[in-house]
Amino acid sequence: MCAPGGGGRLTGPVLMAAPDTAPPTLATEDVVLDAQGLVREYGPVVAVAGIDLTLGPGEFLTVFGPNGAGKSSLLGLLAGSMRPTLGRVSVRGQQLDFGDVSWRRRIGVLSHRGFLYHDLTVTENLRFFGRLFELTDLDRRIPERLAHVGLSDRAGFKVGQLSHGMKQRLALARALLHDPDLVLLDEPFTGLDPSAAAVLRKVLVGLKDGQRTVVMVTHNLGEGLALATRVAIQARGRFVWQGGRDEIDTDSFERFYHEAVEGRR
Amino acid sequence: MSYLRQVQAIVWKDLLLEFRTKERLVAMGAFAVLSAVLFNYAVDRTAVRPQDIAAGLIWMTIVFGGLLGVGRTFHLEAQDGAFEGILMSPAPKDAVFLGKTLANFILLYVVSLLVVAVFMLFFGLELGASPAVLALVLCLGVLGFVSLGTLFAAVSSGTRMGETLLPILVFPLLVPMVIFGTGATGRLLASRPVAEVVGDIRMLGAFAVMALAAGALLFRFVVED
Repeated sequence: MCAPGGGGRLTGPVLMAAPDTAPPTLATEDVVLDAQGLVREYGPVVAVAGIDLTLGPGEFLTVFGPNGAGKSSLLGLLAGSMRPTLGRVSVRGQQLDFGDVSWRRRIGVLSHRGFLYHDLTVTENLRFFGRLFELTDLDRRIPERLAHVGLSDRAGFKVGQLSHGMKQRLALARALLHDPDLVLLDEPFTGLDPSAAAVLRKVLVGLKDGQRTVVMVTHNLGEGLALATRVAIQARGRFVWQGGRDEIDTDSFERFYHEAVEGRR
Repeated sequence: MSYLRQVQAIVWKDLLLEFRTKERLVAMGAFAVLSAVLFNYAVDRTAVRPQDIAAGLIWMTIVFGGLLGVGRTFHLEAQDGAFEGILMSPAPKDAVFLGKTLANFILLYVVSLLVVAVFMLFFGLELGASPAVLALVLCLGVLGFVSLGTLFAAVSSGTRMGETLLPILVFPLLVPMVIFGTGATGRLLASRPVAEVVGDIRMLGAFAVMALAAGALLFRFVVED
């Protein structure tokens, strides 16, 4: 669960009536993602300024924030693609260690970039990444994942021939190919048409229902709130507010978001 | 075994991409042929015997042509952030380096054989008495070259100067390869006994092993945050 960090409990009209109790503590074996005291500095610039985060299975945390808030840096720290200046991250109790990288099998990342080779086919891309993840049942797994994201009929197409929405669905299939415990999503709805967004939304709902743990950073308030079980607002490198989805009144969230980002909350 | 499978996956992917795009092979092959043609006209055959300078020209063509291809090792990787996807996989960084180096080696070795063939054609050279040993000399020299080239291509791809920086970084380190490669190649083309080139071959082998080991050790510091 998200512990309050950097901000207080929400008060005012944005809140639904919520019991004023601390979030339930997860048993150690239920913790999927545990990040403590995360700080990331780029020279004099502090991108992430002390974030604590604990999430269990089936939790979907959406992180909202303006440009430059440090959302992508936070995701990079959780994905292990960058080292924290301070703090630590554990996934399923395994601390992210840059010597032994076996923990990478537990994490799937979907960025606004697809991590795909445009001159390889859909199947070749998945087979390549599957082999890097040491998956042995790719002949079964690849058709399953392609069916899951609605790309079965594009298996032999080169990625360069796909539309942006199809590429994004393929990137999602790549991110989920190895059945990660933790899925990290960076602006996954950017540039998608409504039908592609609907497919992506359906897959993401399936992740939540399947007890995967998801962290998504986005500017899209509608999609972000629709999927979240927990919500955080990040500004100036820290969470200025976080809480349960049921604590939020959707209609007035946008106003609250702007107030929180501007430091008026 | 899983380590070897990850290396194999990188090699397979790089060669398949090259087979599809032919980006680097065509550039290196064309450079080799055109260089041989130009050298053919640049050398005054009344003043110097082509056999005497062919070995040096062969190795310089391999180095310059090779840089065209090796320098673009990470070009396709930058497309759609694909290399970031590799780095986020559990494949060890040295396996990634070895995979990319092996793929580069296969491409450049093919080109080096083409270079020798083209020089034989234009300079009227003969293959010598020990073509298998010549093939070994090329193999070791090219392996050392691509090991350093792949490492420094990763370094230069992350800089603003990009491919311009690569020759500046790599050329000083290629001096041993050029000295021993040229020496061995010249003697073999002149059909000198193999015993005369054993020392050069040992030095080329040591150079290749050291370059490969250094690349495998240092690559992670280049590509990781």
